[in-house]
Amino acid sequence: MRIEKCYFCSGPAYPGHGVTFVRNDCKSFRFCRSKCLKNFKKKRNPRKTRWTKAFRKATGKELTVDNALEFEKRRNIPVKYSRGLWDKTVEAMKRVEEIKRKRQARFIMNRLKKGKQLEKEEAITEVKKNIHLIKAPHAGKAKQLEAKMVQKLQEDVDMEADAI
Amino acid sequence: MGKSTQTGNHKSDRKKHIARTWKTKHRTKDLDQIHSDMTTEAAAKLLHQAVDSDVTGCAQHYCLHCARYFVDLRSMKEHFKTKVHKRRLKKLREEPYTQAEADRAAGMGSYIAPKKVEVKTQTVEEDMN
Repeated sequence: MRIEKCYFCSGPAYPGHGVTFVRNDCKSFRFCRSKCLKNFKKKRNPRKTRWTKAFRKATGKELTVDNALEFEKRRNIPVKYSRGLWDKTVEAMKRVEEIKRKRQARFIMNRLKKGKQLEKEEAITEVKKNIHLIKAPHAGKAKQLEAKMVQKLQEDVDMEADAI
Repeated sequence: MGKSTQTGNHKSDRKKHIARTWKTKHRTKDLDQIHSDMTTEAAAKLLHQAVDSDVTGCAQHYCLHCARYFVDLRSMKEHFKTKVHKRRLKKLREEPYTQAEADRAAGMGSYIAPKKVEVKTQTVEEDMN
């Protein structure tokens, strides 16, 4: 018994669930639920449908290239049962899953960091562009002007005093 | 990106029986089938079919990329100029999606980007008779 992957959404299609569609050239397509089958019938491209795994991988939303992704494989050669090997395999599966989860989580966090940085940059440019809404263009200049006027008046008074 | 292209307004006849058009009886060729049709051998076979009076235009005028028969050469040439045909060519320029890709996306191996395929409208030989 094998848990197949859905053709459309890449989710697991358990035995007894979903539909298999066999096209008239003998190619079979396994779907995990009617939603996926319907979308296939509508000839939608899984790469361009936002909720599928294929989309998320193709657009770089998720971890795409990693050694942790190379463990799960379709193996067509049966292995003879031995208790030791079984134990070890289960142990290894758990460990691999743990590492994979960590790496995927880290990838997403790193991806989101970029957005934070862009947001910050955008906020700075917005403030720079619209600074006139907060601060009037002549703000702070009034005092300077007053100081200048006082100085000039003082000079005039001095001149007049000299003339007399 | 994921939005489907609108085919008409709400009242158009095209959208009246959508469920019916999705039935297996009315299935048209998938993109991967057309990709396999585009190999020189298969293409030659499809473009030079024997006269069959049951098919539109006696199966003499076939658009390889849209998988459609036309009544005559003129209407086929007109079709090559349409948006439907050009849109189809654009869709075909990407390698077809496969179950292997679905498996890879599910975590069985690393992601491999789809290749670009060069697709051009078939050349039409002019019969001067």
